[in-house]
Amino acid sequence: MLTLVFIPAWNEEDSIADVIAGVRASIPEADLLVIDDGSVDGTAARAQEAGALVAPLPFNQGLGAALQTGYLYALREGYEACAHLDADGQHPPAEVAQLLEEIYADRADLVIGSRYRDPGKAESDDYKPTISRRIGIGVFRFFLTLATRQRFTDTTSGMRAANRRVMAMFSERYSPDFAEIESLQLAVREGLRVEEVPVRMLERAGGTSFLTPLRSAFFIFKGLIVLLVGQFRPRHIEASER
Amino acid sequence: MNALTLAANQSPKVHLTAQTRIIAAVLALAFMALVLELIRRNRLQERFSVVWFVAGLGMLLGAAFPGLLSLVADAMGVRDTNVALFSIVLLFLLGLALNFSVTMSRQAAQITRLAQEQALEKAHEQANSGENGSQAKRERLES
Repeated sequence: MLTLVFIPAWNEEDSIADVIAGVRASIPEADLLVIDDGSVDGTAARAQEAGALVAPLPFNQGLGAALQTGYLYALREGYEACAHLDADGQHPPAEVAQLLEEIYADRADLVIGSRYRDPGKAESDDYKPTISRRIGIGVFRFFLTLATRQRFTDTTSGMRAANRRVMAMFSERYSPDFAEIESLQLAVREGLRVEEVPVRMLERAGGTSFLTPLRSAFFIFKGLIVLLVGQFRPRHIEASER
Repeated sequence: MNALTLAANQSPKVHLTAQTRIIAAVLALAFMALVLELIRRNRLQERFSVVWFVAGLGMLLGAAFPGLLSLVADAMGVRDTNVALFSIVLLFLLGLALNFSVTMSRQAAQITRLAQEQALEKAHEQANSGENGSQAKRERLES
């Protein structure tokens, strides 16, 4: 199957080449696209040297817009399956291959890589989040599950695989502000098959998390509003067409 | 009727003074002149000017015919004409600010799509030039 793996990257010159090499090794059949979200460092150049296609956004547009660019490219260039992972080295490409298997086998339209093997806990053997982060994880998990009536554990996971139905939907409707959570809600609402697959994730290779307690609180608040509003959005696919 | 409403009923209605009306009229005229000047210098597009021009006219009307404002105040159940005036202006500005947020949201979405189109175009060119191009696609075309 014609597969595109895309990587949204913003100032990730230290890790991008390794991530690309990893994807090449684990998913040799896929084409590789790096969406450079207005980086001011050498991200685009490193990606090109490493042999990936680069879609350079002229200015920083945020993760949602970068991911949407990837979905748009996959849709327009006729790819049958696509997957994306973070550029900071947290996502082992071998696990992405596992997500793609679900798409190839047509078991789901959208597959999410979850770092939690045990759905009841907000931590896993190799992932121990801070308190504020754990609260956020719990809140989002609860409300997204409430909104979609489907169990989600890793609501903000940036490791996903999708087929053309999802590409078509996300390339038109993808919230720039709260892409991860709202996209799950949207996909379930539109009657797509969304599946979570437990994966192994690594600690951040470099850099620090942007979340301080105050920011976390704001982040959670914003997320809840997005979810609430999302519940009242009009559906585009009629029930009869499903 | 309790004591408070009695007391309120006895107090006279508050109207705009002649001085306020003159100042308001002058300001309204100056405001409308400013709007016209901005359009003339291409600093303001006509479609955004309508609402400001209407606002200026409203100010002028209010200054010229204070009876209008009293009517509105009575309709709102407000005794003080000034309070009615402030309420109307506040609501108007609130609506306008919301309108601008809507416009900004639409333009932000348009800018994002424009940026995406440019990025996609560049990626498409690379894919076709074949340097880092689409391996899977080429193989498929050759086979």
